[in-house]
Amino acid sequence: MRSGPLAGLPFLAFIGLFLVYPTAVVVWRSATPDGALGTAALERAISTTYRSSFINSVQLSLASAVIGALVGLLLALAIYGLERPRWLRPALEAWSAVASQLGGVPLAFAFVAAIGTQGIATKLLTEIGFNPIDHGLGVSGFWGLVTVYLYFQIPLMFLVVMPAVAGLRQTWREASRILGAGPVRYWRSIGLPILLPSFIGGVLLLFVNAFSAYATAYVLSPSTQIVPLQIRFLLQGNVITGEEDLAYALVTWTIVLLLATVVIMSLFNRRAALWSRG
Amino acid sequence: MKRGDVLRWVLIVTVTLYFAVPMLAMARFAFQVVPVALLTPDRIFEGWSVSGLVDALGEPAFHEAAKTSLLLAVFAGILNLSLLLPLAIAIELRAQHLKGLLTTITLLPWVIPPIALVVGVAATFRSIAPWFLASPYSLVPFYALWAMPFTYRALDAGLRSINAKTLYEAGRSLGASSRTILWRVLMPNLGASLIAASVLTGALVLGEYAFASLLLKNTLPTYLEVYQGGEPRAGMALALAVMLLTALMLWIVVRIMRRRGLDVSAAAGAV
Repeated sequence: MRSGPLAGLPFLAFIGLFLVYPTAVVVWRSATPDGALGTAALERAISTTYRSSFINSVQLSLASAVIGALVGLLLALAIYGLERPRWLRPALEAWSAVASQLGGVPLAFAFVAAIGTQGIATKLLTEIGFNPIDHGLGVSGFWGLVTVYLYFQIPLMFLVVMPAVAGLRQTWREASRILGAGPVRYWRSIGLPILLPSFIGGVLLLFVNAFSAYATAYVLSPSTQIVPLQIRFLLQGNVITGEEDLAYALVTWTIVLLLATVVIMSLFNRRAALWSRG
Repeated sequence: MKRGDVLRWVLIVTVTLYFAVPMLAMARFAFQVVPVALLTPDRIFEGWSVSGLVDALGEPAFHEAAKTSLLLAVFAGILNLSLLLPLAIAIELRAQHLKGLLTTITLLPWVIPPIALVVGVAATFRSIAPWFLASPYSLVPFYALWAMPFTYRALDAGLRSINAKTLYEAGRSLGASSRTILWRVLMPNLGASLIAASVLTGALVLGEYAFASLLLKNTLPTYLEVYQGGEPRAGMALALAVMLLTALMLWIVVRIMRRRGLDVSAAAGAV
């Protein structure tokens, strides 16, 4: 194919026009509020209310990432050791591929129906004497959002970590047993060190996934102080000059944070690929 | 049963319940013609009816939004493939050392999520090309972009599994031109991957909300959000229908990928 290098041109032009150019403009404007180089907007974007949005976003993303990753990993381990029923693993993998993409508006409605104030599960729990809303577990609170996010976080983690779990060879366990190691020693010296890079890579991916989630949080509680909802507020609320710079600065910080996370993630993933089996 | 097995099953059953309960709750909200406050466990068999869904599907505004979303999905799928496919083939055959670079580029949509990119789009195109943002189809390039991490994985896995490079070299040594090999050997073999990538793009487009909402476009998700506010039961039914449709599309992708012996985790898009 003589056209080899040419095949890349439309692609690069496309990425340049629709991804790099708008992003570069935003980053540039956030660093030049009122037309001159300056850090005023960038500093404002991480002070007072906006600082707490970042803190809330990081806490929400971290909580849903760590819990999602732990449950996803445990699920993968539970499934891997199970020989019967044989359909269970392919079924769960298929469901995970589906559910990891089921975010957005319909998912938010599903959880309103389940754990909202009039939700089915809420009523069931109230009848047995535990009203979750009274205990701060409403669907629009912090733990409510974590609960909803887990619906796509757990399956995503399961997909990401399953190849690593499947990479734990049965022969290693047998070899370590023959050499006199108990299960604890096996997990401490072999199992966990092998799984750790995948696990951390998975946590970081889930973090990025939760940090940029928008629709679910917007539908469930539009007034939550998290970064994506703040960006929306600044962009749509009022068009006072200066507030736009603030939105640009929030975006710049978001990109910096996500970029750092993705770079670290790919380092861990490279390490994880050593022993993985698809 | 051993203690380990008990723990295993407790975990599997708990997680299954967690996944099933919101769907079942949604089904009750959507298909039981009972005031929401009375949806208690003892009334589980009362008043089931599909009237909510029928109402929702009959709305002319729904047809409008669904048509927009459908066309967006088709256009985004075509754009996505016409940009990625030639590149993926060229890199697989000619420049494998560039693979890492391409993987890195397709990771970019994770770094710049829709809610961040939409700010840049409003800041740039709104002033230099207002006519562009006026049309709902201005979403097409951004949806194509957003789907790339997922579709590239499906295409790359497909190319590797058919040993594209070997096929190409065999074809050349038998005297076929590059064009013949492309159209008569590679494309027919890639059919499944192409379908998987397109359906995956479609499923993503049907669910995208941030871009459409901030650019004030009337797509299925934005319509759904507004409609449910006014018609709770019918809105819930429509949401459930959209969710099932998305799930069905993704399940088709999984089936196609599996039949070809490919890894289903392409749907995760990032590893």
